[in-house]
Amino acid sequence: MSKMRLKFSKLGMGKYISHLDLLRTFTRAIHRAELPVRYSQGFNPHQLITFSLPLALGTTSETEFVDIDFEDGTDKIEVVKKLNMCLPPDIKILEASVPVVKAKDIVSAEYIFDITADSEVNDERVKSFFAEENIPAVKKTKRGEKEINLKEFIYSVDEIAVNGEKVTIKAVISAGGENNIKPGIVAEKLCEFIGNARPENVEIHRTTIFYSDGKKIKNFC
Amino acid sequence: MNYKTKFEACLKKVQKPARYIGNEFNSVHKEKTEEMVSFAFCFPDVYEVGMSHLGMKILYHMLNDREDTVCERVFAPWVDMEEELRNAQLPLLSLESHTPISEFDIVGFTLQYEMSFSNIINMLDLAGIPLRTKDRGGDDAFVCAGGPCAYNGEPLADVIDFFILGEGEEVNNEIIDAYKEWKNAKESRIEFLHKIAKIEGVYVPQFYDVVYNDDNTVKSIKPNRDGVPEKIKKRIVKELDSAYILDKMIVPFMDIVHDRMTLEIFRGCIRGCRFCQAGYLYRPVREHSVEKLVDTAKKMIDSTGYEEMSLSSLSTSDYTCLHELIDELLKITVDKRINLSLPSLRVDNFSMELMEKVQTVKKSGLTFAPEAGTQRLRDVINKNVLEEDLLRTSRIAFEGGYNRIKLYFMIGLPTETEEDVVGIANLAQKVVDVFYSIPKEIRKGRQLTVTVSTSSFVPKPFTPFQWEPQNRIDTLIEKQKLLKENIKTKSISYNWHQSHVSFLEAVFAKGDRRLCDVLIAAQKKGCRFDGWDEHFAYDKWLEAFSDCNIDPEFYAYRKIDHSEVLPWEHIDIGVSKAHLIKEHELAYSEVTTPSCRDNCSGCGAAGFGGGVCFE
Repeated sequence: MSKMRLKFSKLGMGKYISHLDLLRTFTRAIHRAELPVRYSQGFNPHQLITFSLPLALGTTSETEFVDIDFEDGTDKIEVVKKLNMCLPPDIKILEASVPVVKAKDIVSAEYIFDITADSEVNDERVKSFFAEENIPAVKKTKRGEKEINLKEFIYSVDEIAVNGEKVTIKAVISAGGENNIKPGIVAEKLCEFIGNARPENVEIHRTTIFYSDGKKIKNFC
Repeated sequence: MNYKTKFEACLKKVQKPARYIGNEFNSVHKEKTEEMVSFAFCFPDVYEVGMSHLGMKILYHMLNDREDTVCERVFAPWVDMEEELRNAQLPLLSLESHTPISEFDIVGFTLQYEMSFSNIINMLDLAGIPLRTKDRGGDDAFVCAGGPCAYNGEPLADVIDFFILGEGEEVNNEIIDAYKEWKNAKESRIEFLHKIAKIEGVYVPQFYDVVYNDDNTVKSIKPNRDGVPEKIKKRIVKELDSAYILDKMIVPFMDIVHDRMTLEIFRGCIRGCRFCQAGYLYRPVREHSVEKLVDTAKKMIDSTGYEEMSLSSLSTSDYTCLHELIDELLKITVDKRINLSLPSLRVDNFSMELMEKVQTVKKSGLTFAPEAGTQRLRDVINKNVLEEDLLRTSRIAFEGGYNRIKLYFMIGLPTETEEDVVGIANLAQKVVDVFYSIPKEIRKGRQLTVTVSTSSFVPKPFTPFQWEPQNRIDTLIEKQKLLKENIKTKSISYNWHQSHVSFLEAVFAKGDRRLCDVLIAAQKKGCRFDGWDEHFAYDKWLEAFSDCNIDPEFYAYRKIDHSEVLPWEHIDIGVSKAHLIKEHELAYSEVTTPSCRDNCSGCGAAGFGGGVCFE
């Protein structure tokens, strides 16, 4: 068995392709590319494809990962080349590698928030949002809704740039199996706080996924 | 903020934004230049319904294969998106380039069912295109429509600039050519319409005057200018193999209703069921050859990556070389893990062999359509299916491991009695009995599910039953109740269609031009997505009829005399009125008519010079 980890980007209108739709898109692209993918056993065999960290609907990304099981000896370069010919334009495979790190070790991700506010934004107001001790928010889970302090999920804010009604923020927020948080909640709460911006006018882009090896936080690969 | 940014903001607020993004694999994106003709292909329903329609896919790729034409898709935005678009004051946009529809040269709708008419009005309204032909001018787009409901498009006569009757493979190209000539010549709007009215299959309603009698029936329909035909004849493709063949399909991101490859094996139907409009409209039967189909299937598999292929026609098992075709197709599908599905099978020529072949890939439920509960009524409607056929087929299926079966029926058919309605329950019960008569070791599972579905009969133009009245809503409801009471076992589940929708379907199917006002009034009241139970607003429709002083019952509940001038009298589908009258009379004598292959009944379709008539 040869498992391959593909790094890909999902840009433009591709951000509106949901997680489930993305899986279907890959399945069919692999079919079209006639790549030697492996199938699960059982009543309803399906291609062995696993995404490392789902991306929230409406978010673009330059670093997504998908693991695909191919037959032994499948050439990496061939996979990248053929898949790119068979994927829709907004999804592009960047590189292929052998997976080293486990997806369950993912702890956080960096996002860029590009906000176009209704009017000029006061940058002190933006800074004070991230300086708050407690940012009450509601997290929706499969089991229902949960009250949380959003602040605990925002690990760092690396950049705040305000230029008139344009605001750019770079932040690392919690991600992964245990404490996943949708970046949209951060955008929503921030808009609510500064008052003159709306969540639908925020573009969110994922730049990096991080994992922990138990001691250090490193780039997922 | 420009409109694209505004549009994006809308997308963030709606459910299933993938409906509106385009960019799917195999979608065509072209840069439009001044010399090119732009065609907005509109499907008056939501994306996942429209994208499941084969005709649209054929014409979309055919038009885009022309270098001088750009064809983009447009679907009805779902109600949440409509609200966002209206709030943002955005017009209706095309899927590919997100261009306002009003900027296209030709806006074409496909009319698949009557209950989508209000969506057409709503889409034009959203697009900012004047609703009525008479209010369009200057740079306004030409609005056209085709598809099965275009054959009686009279309820949209004030809205549609021209209808295209029949199959679009040839005629659409002729229209594009004519448009280019007209544009270069810089002639008036009316001159374009006059030019294309001479193309066979094109119907320009404003060139015909309709005069009514005092009793509201039609007195006459006559051309009001020179050079347009008295009768407009439908167009067909004489030889399917030599026409444009679709060998690629757009692969949507989201789950659509028919998310699979569709291989069209033939057009038309040899059977002549007397209620079935498609059976008459698509005459004569024309088949694709096995070689062409296999070749097309290969190309389609390579270009889509789909994991399922479905054969498409009005009656799959009537394809002359079905076994050969399936054998050839299985050779290319099995290794690629592609499921082959065969819808529209008939119970009278269903075999174990056929079933086993399809089984090699996947076993899904079976669906049969006996349509009526008693042999007498099946003879009336010319559904040449015997009870023995259904029971024999059910046995084969159950012994082969099936334990789910769906049966489709109609209620409200001409001459129907209580006995016929109860007959549906009895027939379903006999199917159940067959299952339990098979030893447990052979049949699969202990439980059988028989799903009985009834739709309400809607008399349709161009069928022998076009003169028939529909059952009143309360009668239909009583019949549904009667049937329900006569189902005695839990193995049978029963579901039925809303009779109110069927009533309006009958009104618009057999309607005339005076209904245009009603459609426009209903859209103003908020009617749209009438085919969707949750959006169908019967009260608003009744208000619209009453505001326009029109009695809908006049259209649905009246027994029409053979001598009456019908609102679609000027449309010629190639089947003679004399044949329809003869079939109507045979129905009342409970006499069946053999299939086209058994014995030609001289319907008139031979006039097209091709297909089954010359086999």
